[in-house]
Order: sequence, then C-alpha cells, then structure tokens
Amino acid sequence: MKKTSLLAVVAALGFASAAFAEPATYAIEPSHSFATFEITHFGTSTNRGRFNKTSGTVTVDKAAKTGSLDVTVDTTSLDTGTAAFTKHLSSEEILNTAANPTAHLVANKFTFNGDKVTEIAGTLTLNGKTNPVVLKAQNYNCYNSPMIKREVCGGDFDTTIVRSQYGVTYGLNYGFPDNVHLVIQVEAVKQ
Amino acid sequence: MKRSSSKTLRAAALAALAVSCASPGLAPALAQSVAGPVTYQLDPDHTFATFEVRHFGTSTLRGRIGPVMGEVTLDRAARTGDVRLRIPVTSVSTGVRALDARLKQPDLLATAEYPEAYFVATRFSFDAAGGVKEVRGEFTLRGASQPLSLVARSFACRHDERLKREVCGGDFEGDLKRHDFGATFGEPFVGDDVHLVIQVEAFAP
Repeated sequence: MKKTSLLAVVAALGFASAAFAEPATYAIEPSHSFATFEITHFGTSTNRGRFNKTSGTVTVDKAAKTGSLDVTVDTTSLDTGTAAFTKHLSSEEILNTAANPTAHLVANKFTFNGDKVTEIAGTLTLNGKTNPVVLKAQNYNCYNSPMIKREVCGGDFDTTIVRSQYGVTYGLNYGFPDNVHLVIQVEAVKQ
Repeated sequence: MKRSSSKTLRAAALAALAVSCASPGLAPALAQSVAGPVTYQLDPDHTFATFEVRHFGTSTLRGRIGPVMGEVTLDRAARTGDVRLRIPVTSVSTGVRALDARLKQPDLLATAEYPEAYFVATRFSFDAAGGVKEVRGEFTLRGASQPLSLVARSFACRHDERLKREVCGGDFEGDLKRHDFGATFGEPFVGDDVHLVIQVEAFAP
C-alpha cells in the first residue's frame, strides 16, 4: 500500500515536471480564435469579414524564447453578415474558396519581451500563393482557465497584407484598396 | 469590395469615382450638397455594430450586430445633425452559436425582453471640411439609457454613380461599461469595458 502511494507520488511528480518542461504545445481553441479582415470601402466605412473556423497548434518555449505555429483557416467559413457579399468574396474572382478552401499561416520566428510574445514572423498562404508575413501581438497573456483547468495563452495579432501579392486583384482598378488589415484573435490550450 | 459582378459601364463609373475619391478629392464631394438638412437612409449592406471585450485579460472577443437600421439627418452648412439607430441585438453573431445563445440571456443582452438597442443623438461636431467628427447622444441597452459619445475614425461623402445619389459613411467608435446597463454576467473574467466599432453608410434621397 505504502509502496503504491510512493509510486503514485513519483508518477505525479514525473507528470508535473513533464508539464513544466519546455517547449510546451498548445492547441488552438476554436471558439476564441478568429481571423477578421478589414478593408476600406470607397474611403468611407470599413468592410469586415470573419472566418468562423480556425485550427492548428502553437509551441512556445518560454525559457528559450522560441516558438512555432501552424494555423489553418477554413476560407469557406467566411461570414460578413451580408450573404451576397460573402458569396461574392468567396467566388472565383476574389478568394476562390472552392479551389483554395484553406489559408495557412506557418511561423517559426517568435519575438519576446520578457515572457510575452510581441511578434511572429512566418509565411501566409492565401489563394494558393505564399508570402512572408509579420504579425504584431497585442494583449499577449497566459492564464489558468478555471473551466478546463489548464493553461491558456493567446492575444490579438494583426498585420496588413497587400492582397495583389496573393493574386487577389478584384476592383483594384476602380478604387478598392490593395491593403487589407488582418486582425486575428487567438487563444490556445496547453496540451 | 463589390457585392455583385461588375459591368463595363459601372466599372467606368467606379473608375471615375475612384479618381474623385483619391486623397484630397473627398473635400469637394463633401461640399456638393450643403444646402439645408438632408435625411439619409442607412445602407443595410454597410451598417453593422461590432462590440469588442477582453476575455480573461487576454484576447479580444468580438461580436457583430446588424444590419443596424435607422436614419441620419445632416445639415452640413448649419453644422447640425440628428441620428436614430435601431440595433437588433437578436442578430448578435460571434461565430460561436453557443456564445450567441448565452449572450441573448437575461443577464447579458436580454434579447427576449429588449430585442433592440438604440442610439439617439443630436449633438454633432464637424471638422473644417464639413465631415462629422463626433456624435454625442444616448445609448439604450436592456432598457437602460446612458450617455455615449461616438467618435468618427473615418468619415466621407461621395457621389455614387451607380445609385445616382450621395452616399456618406464612416467608422464610429465609442466605449461603455456593461455594468451601467446591467449586463454583468461573466465579470471579471470577461471585461466590463466594451469597445463599440460601428460601420455606417447611408444614402441621400
């Protein structure tokens, strides 16, 4: 009996030290991870669209201050609030989501300030074309979720892409801007 | 981005418009119809309210509500205005159905009892070019009313060749504390400070 409990303690310690070993892997939490685009409409208001499905993993080594990320956005999950706008954006002449149903963000250059991620550099594949991208982090933080009893890390990440570099050129010749602001909410759960 | 496929004529008209919209070209557009008050109808394709609230001090949770309905009257010569917005909170969309349902409960948006929020304002500030700079009025949510100021992050008017009328619009932002309206569920894990970002476009008659 005593032996068993000692073993249990040793095992528990083993798990505990494994849990604190770096790097740690985090799985994207889909209900708090969304990519939104913002594009100016004729110099007046800003049109927004949200992609409802995002998945992937992030690894962070807080001690070594390194990290990597592999995130897939389902482009067919686009949601603008206006069915006709969503349909047109999804069509062949803009995002062509039938041919390119995913956008893919891969990054392995993480910049830290202390234990907080401040910048992520990698590549974004959109509409079948890949370009370098740098995401600035705001509000990066980790917390222990009282609901799932695990560490959750995340924040808001944003960047401005030049859509023609991804072959998305619709309307450039009559005034729709080439610059698109991407705002990405991310939370990921420690595995 | 356009909502429907382009036609050659429209493309030409849009090209002309793009030229007139380019950089300082907006000022003449603002000066076009300055005689007397003009009442604009909100464009349901380009008028949405988005709220932003911090989740566990970490990421920003967003929800979209709309289209927002209502009308705006501007008298840019007299530098006065009047706006009445009806915000259908039953349409709240976060991308997570369970969260949308939770938001509609009595301790948050209480949509069964209060299906609409309202913003009513008559105190308008204008910039030198006649563009709307700030709108101060009253916001009503869950039947509770509080003062709210919406600041224009962008505002411009243009002549739309396709619609043959003037269209004005912009992005307006404001901040509120949800406990002022009794919508307190989830605090402090989900923040009390709510940032509103309102996209508005409206057609002249």
